[in-house]
Amino acid sequence: MSEFDVIVVGAGPAGASAAIKLAGSGSSVLLVERGDPPGSKNVSGGVLWGDSLGSVAPDWEKSAPMERYVEAKGVSFLTRDSKISIDFRSKKLQERRSGYTVLRTKLDGWLSKKAKDAGAMVASGITVDKLAFKDERVIGIEQDGDIITSDIVILAEGANPRVAINSGIRDRLKDRDVAIGVKEIIKLPEKTINERFNLTSSKMGFASEYVLGFLEGGVKAGGFIYTNKESISLGLVISMKEMRENNNTRSFDLIEQFKEHPYIAPLIEGGRVDEYSAHMVQEGGLKSVPQLYGNGFMVVGDGAGFSFSNGMVLQGMNYAIASGIAAAESAIKAKIKSNFTKDGLSSYEERLKSSFVLQDLMNFKGIEEVTWSDMIHRGIPNMTEELFLSLFSENGQPKAHMINLLIRAMGHSDVPRKDMVINMYRMLRRM
Amino acid sequence: MKIEDRLSLLNYKTDKSYEHITINPSICETCPDHFCTFACPAKCYSLIEEKLNFKYEDCVECGTCDVACSHGSVAWNNTKGGHGVKYKYG
Repeated sequence: MSEFDVIVVGAGPAGASAAIKLAGSGSSVLLVERGDPPGSKNVSGGVLWGDSLGSVAPDWEKSAPMERYVEAKGVSFLTRDSKISIDFRSKKLQERRSGYTVLRTKLDGWLSKKAKDAGAMVASGITVDKLAFKDERVIGIEQDGDIITSDIVILAEGANPRVAINSGIRDRLKDRDVAIGVKEIIKLPEKTINERFNLTSSKMGFASEYVLGFLEGGVKAGGFIYTNKESISLGLVISMKEMRENNNTRSFDLIEQFKEHPYIAPLIEGGRVDEYSAHMVQEGGLKSVPQLYGNGFMVVGDGAGFSFSNGMVLQGMNYAIASGIAAAESAIKAKIKSNFTKDGLSSYEERLKSSFVLQDLMNFKGIEEVTWSDMIHRGIPNMTEELFLSLFSENGQPKAHMINLLIRAMGHSDVPRKDMVINMYRMLRRM
Repeated sequence: MKIEDRLSLLNYKTDKSYEHITINPSICETCPDHFCTFACPAKCYSLIEEKLNFKYEDCVECGTCDVACSHGSVAWNNTKGGHGVKYKYG
């Protein structure tokens, strides 16, 4: 007889959601978190997209500590001197549902409390060393030589999955699996944020991704700016592979280059940096998804490689929550049948495959090759800059047709025309 | 803003009896790239008189160095007992 039905390792959105769902259905659950309090070690951009939380906390939009609702979503290319943007704003985004900006210490603290209220035992400040095995089956967790037993362990460790690695159920991470995320929280008065980002109220927010085509040494990175109530989350996601190939700029210096850009600096002027943070970001797509379940265990959230990025949106927490819920449902089913083997937990993968979690990863297989391509980071920014300079300047010379301007602009892209066309086709297909 | 100033904004509960990351100096001595000094976002790795210096106290536990070091010098473990970085916002 095990001490718990389920032990969940990690109290981020994935783990806490699984624990809430399981405890709510009457299972005995231990939620173990190495941070004390829960949330204090967790970092994300971050925007929580969609309505995944609805199935663990129906009243979440009223009760969860959300910052602002995304009413304005941007996508920009930055060159040294220019900013080329889509700044999408729509009253319809409120009906269609976008996302909320969040701060993780608050959100994860709230989720852990929900888990506790639902009946889970929450143990924070406890670091799990590895999974405990018996006869090739997971029987619980090991911590400082002690074993705590459960029928099932759900690993929700986040982007740096040490327990899974230490337990030999997954490989170590490679360059292609991750990017380096760095972030600052910049304090600004609520009213200033509303004015600078042209927001209709203090409840409404702005979220934008930036392709940074101008960084020193040609390192490829994406930037983000999200507005919280009284602060701005500003950060960078830097390709590990690109960093290694360049090996001449330091990850912690790049964020300054983003902040000093002529069209970013005015947005944060007068703001006070209140926190600096860094975390790895899952970036590998389907190729980076490890073994998802086995005898007595399931893997959820970032630790399972569940994130989505197509250069225009960056999502992770919604996949985390949905996968946590899917694992909880599979655990409940396994308990009914008293079958905790790999076979008994196989419905977990089926659930993921029939939901957006694995479908998005499968449908956008290989997208990471596009998002980190020369075309996105140099070709398109340089080309569109030249095109718009031609279109929007006036020097008394006869005007050229659009197609000629476009062909000429392509010559300024630093990427061979042939490669541009091939890449453009590939991008449209994969997007 | 200098990285040192950014790090000074952070709260840590430093574990004086346990270094959660250790390096193997003999491997670092012959390292051709010292990629860790570029990749680590908390500047825990630096070259002082051509010798690699590592301080675990500033670590934000992101895991980057474990992926960055391709020479097998970094031994990475989670902090224990709630020690390490404590974010205000996250």
